[in-house]
Amino acid sequence: MATPGRSSRWDRWLASRIRPENPTRLTQQRIYILPTLEGVAFGCVLVVMLLAAINYQNSLAYGLTFLLAAVLFISVLHTYRNMVGLVLSAANSPPVFAGDVASFRIHLDGAGRARRAIVTGWQAAPTQTAPASSHTVDVEHDALVPADLSREALTRGRFRPGRLRVESRFPLGLIKAWSWVDLDLATLVYPRPVEGDLPLDVHTGSEKEAGAQSPVLSMGVDDFQGLRRYQPGDSKRRLHWKAYSRGQGLLVKDFAAAGGQDVILDFDALAGAIEPRLSLLCYWVLELSGRQQTFALRLPGEYIAADVGDAHRDRCLRVLALHGVQA
Amino acid sequence: MSKKPAMEQAIPRASLTWLLVAQFLVILPHLGHLPLWISALWIACAYWRIQVYRMRARFPSALVKAALMVGTIAGVYLSRGGLVGLDAAVVLLVAAFILKLVEVRTRRDALVLIYLGFFTVLTRYLFDSEILTAAFSLLPVAGLLSALVGLQHSGVVVRPWSTLKLAMTLMLQAVPLMLVLFLFFPRLGPLWSLPQPSERGVTGLSDSMAPGEIAELSRSGGLAFRASFDDPVPARNQLYWRALTFDRFDGRRWTQTPQGFAAASPDWQAVGDPVRYSVIMERSAKPWLFALDVAQSDDDAIRRKSDFRLERTRPVERTFFYRATSWIDARLEPESPSAAVRRALQLPATGEPRARGWAQELRRQYSDDRALAEAVLRQFREQPYVYTLRPPTLEGDAIDAFLFDTRRGFCEHYAGAMTFVLRAANIPARVVTGYQGGELNTAGNYLQVRQFDAHAWVEYWIEGAGWVRADPTFQVAPDRIERGLEEAVSGEQSFLEGDPFSPLRYRHLGWINTLRLQWDELNYGWQRWVLDYQAEQQGSFLQRIMGHSDKTTLIGIVLLGGLVVLGALAIWIIKPWRRRLAPLDRAFSQFERLLQKEGVQRLPAEGPRTYAARAAQALPAAANEIRGFSRAYEQQCYETDDAHTQPLSDALRALRRSLGKGATR
Repeated sequence: MATPGRSSRWDRWLASRIRPENPTRLTQQRIYILPTLEGVAFGCVLVVMLLAAINYQNSLAYGLTFLLAAVLFISVLHTYRNMVGLVLSAANSPPVFAGDVASFRIHLDGAGRARRAIVTGWQAAPTQTAPASSHTVDVEHDALVPADLSREALTRGRFRPGRLRVESRFPLGLIKAWSWVDLDLATLVYPRPVEGDLPLDVHTGSEKEAGAQSPVLSMGVDDFQGLRRYQPGDSKRRLHWKAYSRGQGLLVKDFAAAGGQDVILDFDALAGAIEPRLSLLCYWVLELSGRQQTFALRLPGEYIAADVGDAHRDRCLRVLALHGVQA
Repeated sequence: MSKKPAMEQAIPRASLTWLLVAQFLVILPHLGHLPLWISALWIACAYWRIQVYRMRARFPSALVKAALMVGTIAGVYLSRGGLVGLDAAVVLLVAAFILKLVEVRTRRDALVLIYLGFFTVLTRYLFDSEILTAAFSLLPVAGLLSALVGLQHSGVVVRPWSTLKLAMTLMLQAVPLMLVLFLFFPRLGPLWSLPQPSERGVTGLSDSMAPGEIAELSRSGGLAFRASFDDPVPARNQLYWRALTFDRFDGRRWTQTPQGFAAASPDWQAVGDPVRYSVIMERSAKPWLFALDVAQSDDDAIRRKSDFRLERTRPVERTFFYRATSWIDARLEPESPSAAVRRALQLPATGEPRARGWAQELRRQYSDDRALAEAVLRQFREQPYVYTLRPPTLEGDAIDAFLFDTRRGFCEHYAGAMTFVLRAANIPARVVTGYQGGELNTAGNYLQVRQFDAHAWVEYWIEGAGWVRADPTFQVAPDRIERGLEEAVSGEQSFLEGDPFSPLRYRHLGWINTLRLQWDELNYGWQRWVLDYQAEQQGSFLQRIMGHSDKTTLIGIVLLGGLVVLGALAIWIIKPWRRRLAPLDRAFSQFERLLQKEGVQRLPAEGPRTYAARAAQALPAAANEIRGFSRAYEQQCYETDDAHTQPLSDALRALRRSLGKGATR
C-alpha cells in the first residue's frame, strides 16, 4: 500500500526538520500558514463581489471588495504575529498505569506579547482510539499559561506522545498558522495492575524445603496481627478509626507477612506471558506498599532488596515499567 | 476532553452582539427602498434571536422556517410585482439576511450571515453612491468584521469593545493595500449584462413636452450634470445645453417624430473657436446627453443625431462621464432644406384659430422670416406677459388662451406658442429642450446644472443661416437667462417652494452658500476621481505617472506595490526587532543589573547560584534579599507544576529596597 509508505516518509521528513527541543520558541522557519476552509469561502465571496463590481462598473463595490481583500492579507500578518516568538515548554509529567490517560502540562509563554486563542493539541494520530485532546488558551504578554494535554497511554514503558501541533486562527479565522513542536514529551507507564494470587516465595536464606506447598499470598488470607501504636509514615488507610473514636489514641492495624519473613515478588516464580506477570507484580507492589509491608522484587537481571516506603514502591514500579524496554 | 469541531460550536456573546448591531447597520440604508413589513420582520427576528440567546425561546422548527421563507418570498412577489430584476433581488437578499439570523446556531451559520452581510452592503452601492453612503457603509463593515473576530474568541468572556477595536485596527491597516488595489487593479468592461436598478425616482427631462411639465421639473433642486471647461466658461447666455428637439405637435403635446432623427451626420459649418469641456452626468435612465451646440465627442458609444443632439447607445443608468467639443456659433444645416426642416412645418389640422389668425396677419406684415420671428419676440417683450412657476391650467385651445388671455406661463408655454405661430406663418420651427445656464463653482471652476435649470426654447430655419435659436423666455424674463431662475421668479416666492430646507434656497446667506459650494465641490471630486475611476480614467492616470498604460504594467504595479505595502506593514505589525525574554530570564537580568550597579559583575559562565552567593558576600547588607531572590529563582526554574513570576518580582522589590537603604546610609 502506498499510504503508509508515504506517511512514514512524511514522518521521517518532519522528524528531520523538527528536532526535540524543550523549551521551543516558534520561529519563522517552523510556522506554516494557509487559508482555512472559511478563508477559501471568504475568497469566493470576494470573487462574487468583484464580479458584481465589474459588471456594474461600480467604484464603491470595487472599493469594498479591495478593502476586504486587504483585510484578508493583513490578517495573515496578525495570525503570524500571534504565533511567532511564542515559547512552549513542557513540565515533568507524572507516571501513569497502562490504559490510563497520561496528562502532560505544557507552558505557553507569551514572551512579551499577548496571544489569543492558541490551540495546542497532538499532531493528528489516526491510530489513537481515544479522542485526541486539544486546548485553547489566551496568553497575556507577561504570563506563563499552562495547558494540559492528555493522551491514552496504551502500553507499558516510556510513553512518548510525540509532536504537538500548535495552531492559531486568530483574528479572523480565515487564515491558520500552525507549527509542529517536539518538546520531547515523555512519561513513564507502569504495567496495568491486575488483581490475582501470588505464589509466595518465602525468603529463608537456605534451600527450599522440597515437597512443602508454597504458601499463597492473596487478599483476605493474610494475618491480622493486631493493633500497634501509630508511627509517622504509616498509611492513613490503615488507621483504626473506631479505636480512635473510643479515645484509645491513634492505632494502626498491623498485618504480618506469612511466616513473619520478607516477601519476595519474583517474576520467575510466575507462569504465563510476560505482561500478565508484570501486571500481577505491579498489583502486589501497590498492595504491599499500601500495607506498609517490606518486600523485595526480583526480575530477570534485576533485584531490588527488601524495603518499604514510597520511594521503594516507585523504584519497583519503574523497574516493572521499563522491564525489557530500551529506555 | 473531547470537543465538537470548532465550526459546530455555539456563537460567543461578543460575536452575537456585533452580529445584531452589524445587521441593523447593514439594513438601515436599505430601509428607504424596502417594503415596510421588512422592518417589522427584522425587529421580530432580532427579538426572537435575543430570546433564544437568553434561553427564553427556541430555535424555529423546520416547518416554521419553511413557512417564514415561503411567506417572505410571497411578500416580495406581492410588493415588488415579481421576483426578477435587481430591485426584487435586493429585497430577497435582505430578507434572506434577516431570516438567517433566527436560525443562526453555530459558528458556521454565523459565518454565512456575515458573508451575506458583506454582499448586502455592496448591493446598496448599486442604488446610491454618495460620499455619505460610502462613509456610512464603513460602519456595518466594521460591525461584521467585529462579529468575525468575536467568533474566534473561544468561550472566554471578551468585552465587545475589544473586538471592535481589533476590527477597526485591521480596517485601518488595510487602507494602504486597498488604495494600491483600487488604483492599479486592471478595470474591465462588464463581462455580462445584469439587471440594472429600475428607473424609479429619477427626475429629469422627459421625451415629450406639454404645458406645465418643465415648470413641474423646476421645483426640483436635484443635480442634472456638472460640466468643467478646459478654458474659461462661456458667457451665461451662451449656455444652452441641448438635450432633445420636438418636431411634432398634436394640439397639446410636443413629441419627436418616431425614427425622425435616425439619419446621422447632418450638414453643418464650424464657426469660431471650439469649446472643450467634460460632463459628469447624473443617472437619468435616458440615452440622451447634454451638450452645447454643435457638439462632437470622441466616444464610440456617443452619436450625434440629425437634430444635433448627442445620444448614447445605452441609457445612462449610472453617473456617466464624457468629453465633448462644441462650436457655439456653428451654422446648422445652412444649405438645402432637409427632411428635418420639412417636418418642422407640421401642425394639427384644426385648433388655435386666434394664433393662426395672428400668424397670417404677421405674414402679411413681414415678408422676411427673420423679421417675422423678431416681431413675435417683440410681442412677448412689449405686451404684459408674465414669467411664472405657477402657470394657470389651460384647457381646449391652450395656445390661444395663453397668448391672448392669461399671458402667464413658463418657458414651455412661450416656446410652444412661438413655434406654433412660426409654423402657422410657414416658417420651419421646432422646440428644443435642455438646460440653460448653471451655477459656477469658482473654487472648482465647474458648472453645476440642476433640474430647475431645465429650459425650452425655439429654433427656426432660414435658408442660408440654418437653424437659428430664439428664446422667447429671454424677452419676458431676461433675468432667467442672465442670472437664473431664482432671480427670475423672486417676486412670487415660488423658487423651490416644495423644499423649504434645500440649501439652494439660502444662497443669499454667505456662509451657507460657501458651505454648500464646498460640499458640492467635494461631491464633484468624489464623482470625478472615485466613482468615475474606471478603465478610461485609470488609463489616463497611469499614462500620467508612468508615461504609458497597459494591462501588464497594471498587474506589475499591483503585485509589486502590494508586496511593498505588505512588507512595510509586516515590519510595522510584527516588529521583528522586539525579541522578548521569557519572564524568568527577564527577572534574572533585572537582578543582574541591580547587582552590577553595586559593582558585582557576573563572571562569564558563572551560574546563578554561585553568582548570588558571591554577591551576598560582597554586599552583606543585602545578603538576605539576594539569597531570597536566588531561592525564588531556583524554585521557579524547577517548578514543575505552575510557574509564577510574582515571588520573583516580590524578591526583586525587596532587594531594591534594601540596596537603596544601603546607599543612603
